[in-house]
Amino acid sequence: MTNYVIRKILSLIPMMLVLSFLIYLGIELMPGDAVDFLIPPDALSTMSETQLNEMRESLGLNDPFMVRYVKWLGGVLHGDFGYSLQSGVPVATLMKNHLPATIELTVTALIFSSIFGILFGVISALKKGSILDQMLSVVGMIGVAIPQFLLGLICINAFALHLNLLPVGGRMASMDQNFFERLPYLIMPALVLGFSLTSGVMRYARGSMLDSMGKDYMKTARAKGIPEWRLNLLHGLRAALTPVVVLIGFRLPMLIGGAVVIEEVFQWPGIGALFVDSVRAQNTPLVMMIGFFSVLLVLISSIIVDIVTAALDPRIKLS
Amino acid sequence: MSSLDRKMDKILAREEAGQIKKRMKNRALRKMFANRLSVAGIIIFVVILFMCCAAPLFTPYDATKVDLRSILQPPSAEHILGTDKIGRDIWARILFGGRVSIAVGLGSALIATVLGVSLGTIAGYKGGWLDGIVMKVSEIMMAFPQMILVLILVTITGQSLWNLIFIFSLTGWPSMYRMARSQMLSLREQEYVQALKAFGIGGMRIAFKHILPNAIGPIFVNITLSTAMFILQEAALSFLGLGVPLEVATWGNILNVAQDLTILKQAWWIWLPTGIAVTLFVISINFIGDGLRDATDPSQIG
Repeated sequence: MTNYVIRKILSLIPMMLVLSFLIYLGIELMPGDAVDFLIPPDALSTMSETQLNEMRESLGLNDPFMVRYVKWLGGVLHGDFGYSLQSGVPVATLMKNHLPATIELTVTALIFSSIFGILFGVISALKKGSILDQMLSVVGMIGVAIPQFLLGLICINAFALHLNLLPVGGRMASMDQNFFERLPYLIMPALVLGFSLTSGVMRYARGSMLDSMGKDYMKTARAKGIPEWRLNLLHGLRAALTPVVVLIGFRLPMLIGGAVVIEEVFQWPGIGALFVDSVRAQNTPLVMMIGFFSVLLVLISSIIVDIVTAALDPRIKLS
Repeated sequence: MSSLDRKMDKILAREEAGQIKKRMKNRALRKMFANRLSVAGIIIFVVILFMCCAAPLFTPYDATKVDLRSILQPPSAEHILGTDKIGRDIWARILFGGRVSIAVGLGSALIATVLGVSLGTIAGYKGGWLDGIVMKVSEIMMAFPQMILVLILVTITGQSLWNLIFIFSLTGWPSMYRMARSQMLSLREQEYVQALKAFGIGGMRIAFKHILPNAIGPIFVNITLSTAMFILQEAALSFLGLGVPLEVATWGNILNVAQDLTILKQAWWIWLPTGIAVTLFVISINFIGDGLRDATDPSQIG
């Protein structure tokens, strides 16, 4: 097992090297001269060409591309991710400030969609063909087809603007509030973000539950006189869970993409909103670094999914 | 689908007994038309597509015509779905905007398919270093969350209609490539391929003419999936103001104004019908995709 995990993690390194190179290439492709972004405009207009050149030299901007890349990579490995072009604030600080909000949102959406997706999926598998099953599948179809932001707009319109039940957006009224006071702000974005994910998990859970209900070991267990509810709960559900765990892991990219849009709709101060802002402002260093970390997250989670599946499924030999 | 299969078998049995005439030769197509949902999908799809393509037949207005004397009007006999902040007719904007949105979605999906399938066919059949490189590239692209990759590319290339189609095609080919490639890998050692080789038929001719047609079902399913995804993404990007430039009417650009809370609260006719149009169109595409998958999945042919 340890060997397997280590091998998996080592396989990340070449991928990350290539990716970091591409990310750096992206930062370099940014239109304009980096010096323009580092010096106040009034100082820039008084500087002569030779002064600018000295400046470039001292900043290392005249080094060959590969040298600059290696320097940059060294910085990244030490936690120096560069600076935002809009505010001059270090990217690392910005990320640290915005990350908690995003984690709060995505984890809630993930938990919500897993619980309801599995629950409704199993229910509709057990009641296959019933009106409930058909209604759930219609909801599921709409869930994957409706643009997430549109669902967000409909919810804001209904629950915030007309019924005045929940706040329109934002994360908290003022600083230093505990989780339960912030909860009203979290409900809508998390439910909307989780909704389309729920539909996917529900479809999948229904399929795998139906699949496992037809298996021979279920007949054996039934023949042994085990009550139906216990049979479904213990044997059926357990077999149905494995593919669902995998699915939740692979849905992570969708969750991140969805968070980008949903955070913007609900003015949720997370990484996604930060990302959209920096795309609008052509703030390349920040865009690239957020992109880099999202890929890192996806790759790591796919490794975790591999390991969990391997651990759950006795048929997969690890040695 | 088992009930559908049984229905199909009954129909086949009656056909063999000579009780009814054979209508279509292609079994997959027949199976698809026996599926109520996919027929509904096809009908909705064709209706929306036709109304958008023949937009001038259904509205006297122009999508970009500004009329400052009638701004923010609720639906009336004159303007079926009302007007927006600068007096443009919403119904006309939905129809003309649909043209662009559908063209972006379908066009990008088709380009991505041609790109991915040809790469997958060539690289998958030949194998070796070419396959290794393309595989690595596709792995890297698929590691990005789609939305993030698209936005990164928007930052680099800037915003325009053609850039968006380019970006969607560029981010869409890896899944097509994977599919075509796996088809090549599983079939290229088959006996019939060896027989073709023995006849002296060229490698690429075998790959494209004799192996690729086996993948026609999954390819079409994938086109529908990509089209739906790209239409949703165009809507989301334009809603954020990062997709197609605002002066072009698209479904996403109509929805863009709903970021304004007063419009969201008071002028439902601007965003709700447009949202319904997008959702309906994507649902119809998904139904067609599901029907195609059920009809062409080899494990379902009894």
